[in-house]
Amino acid sequence: MRWLTFFCILLCISIFQSALINWINIGTSVPDLYFPLVVFYSFLTDFKRNTIANWFAGLSKDLFSEGHFGLNSVFFVAAGFLLWSIRGILYRGHLVTQVIITFIFSVMYNILYAAHTTISFHSLNFSTTLWMIFISSLYTAMMVPVLFWIFSKFQPTQKFFSNQ
Amino acid sequence: MRTSTPSFSSLIKTPLATIIILLAISLVLLFLPSNISNHIRMTCVAPIRPLQWATCFCSNSASNFFDKIISTWQDAQVKKQLEQQVSQFKNKIIEQQDTIYKLQNKLQALSKFQAENKSIKTNVIPADIIGYDASNFRKSITINAGSKHGVKPNDIVVSNNALVGKVATVSGRSSVIQLITDPASRIPGRILQTREQVIVEGNATGFCHLKYVPRWAKLKKGDEIVSSDIGGFYPPSLPIATVIENEITGGALFQTVKVLPKVDISKIESVLIITN
Repeated sequence: MRWLTFFCILLCISIFQSALINWINIGTSVPDLYFPLVVFYSFLTDFKRNTIANWFAGLSKDLFSEGHFGLNSVFFVAAGFLLWSIRGILYRGHLVTQVIITFIFSVMYNILYAAHTTISFHSLNFSTTLWMIFISSLYTAMMVPVLFWIFSKFQPTQKFFSNQ
Repeated sequence: MRTSTPSFSSLIKTPLATIIILLAISLVLLFLPSNISNHIRMTCVAPIRPLQWATCFCSNSASNFFDKIISTWQDAQVKKQLEQQVSQFKNKIIEQQDTIYKLQNKLQALSKFQAENKSIKTNVIPADIIGYDASNFRKSITINAGSKHGVKPNDIVVSNNALVGKVATVSGRSSVIQLITDPASRIPGRILQTREQVIVEGNATGFCHLKYVPRWAKLKKGDEIVSSDIGGFYPPSLPIATVIENEITGGALFQTVKVLPKVDISKIESVLIITN
């Protein structure tokens, strides 16, 4: 795993997510480009590198969004750890698995984040938030084929499809 | 039997220690006072802001250019008769005009605002939007004006004479604006027609909700919500939103009112900051 490549990918994602969002959003639905990166590295690397990569991805998201600083890094590390733990039982080389896992974990992450926002501000509407979580996670999952292809081009590894 | 204690360098190489250290840093960051964490955030992001601004500028220019192309295409029947050389010149003129329109719009908005607010002793700073919030559940924008331009935390941000939000965090050359649609945003408002006092609350969607609207208040679709000077934080009579839906459920004391903000943040490129 090359860290320079990782940080370049992270910078590009941060710029894209924060500056070009009006080009990719559909209504209120915005894809989370950081999350496929978390899934990709959880599938790809060993425990230590996965944790560090996810922590930096979360911190990067924290830097470009309002709210509690450090929250996304905790969530991303937790999501990455969970994914890393179960990756042995998954056929992680298949695109369908990658899309479904991204969707499921994105829903879980968004529910946690929404719960935190609700506890903090008491202003989220339940049905609207659920719909937003579903649409955003679906959109994020739909971006997976393209993003995984880009990530694997920049971060090639033979270990990707092995069950270590 | 001799036992050796592991050194720090060998300890940090173990995966469990890594995760504990990183989570500890995250928790420290989480529980830092907001002014310190905001300062860290703005300092870390400062080197990336020019790149963010350049990307946003290119994206806006491209968007405007495509709009111009679409409008040019609509008049295609007339323009087909023109020579190729003339169309090339026109494209160049379009590019030049785009810049002029942007500056004219900014100037127009500035003069209009100053003409309508002569009585209020305020200073107005124009700024371009250079970034948006990366999170789904928070609504904020980044602008290219900061403390070096005179922007301070809690300054009011408007566009086309309507409220956009308030300044949340300021660095030297950029600031983060908390939009009225952010879940943490609470704005004292007044219903223009009935004079009822309300709180405009964001909920991370494109809409806002009104809090504490009594069930007997006679609201209808299209009623205007303006800012109230209660609390002395926001200037009075600044348009905020329009009522689009209200509902009285069961024995609830208050109505559920959905309002549409006056400013569609996805359609503006610049804002005005009112500094006191």
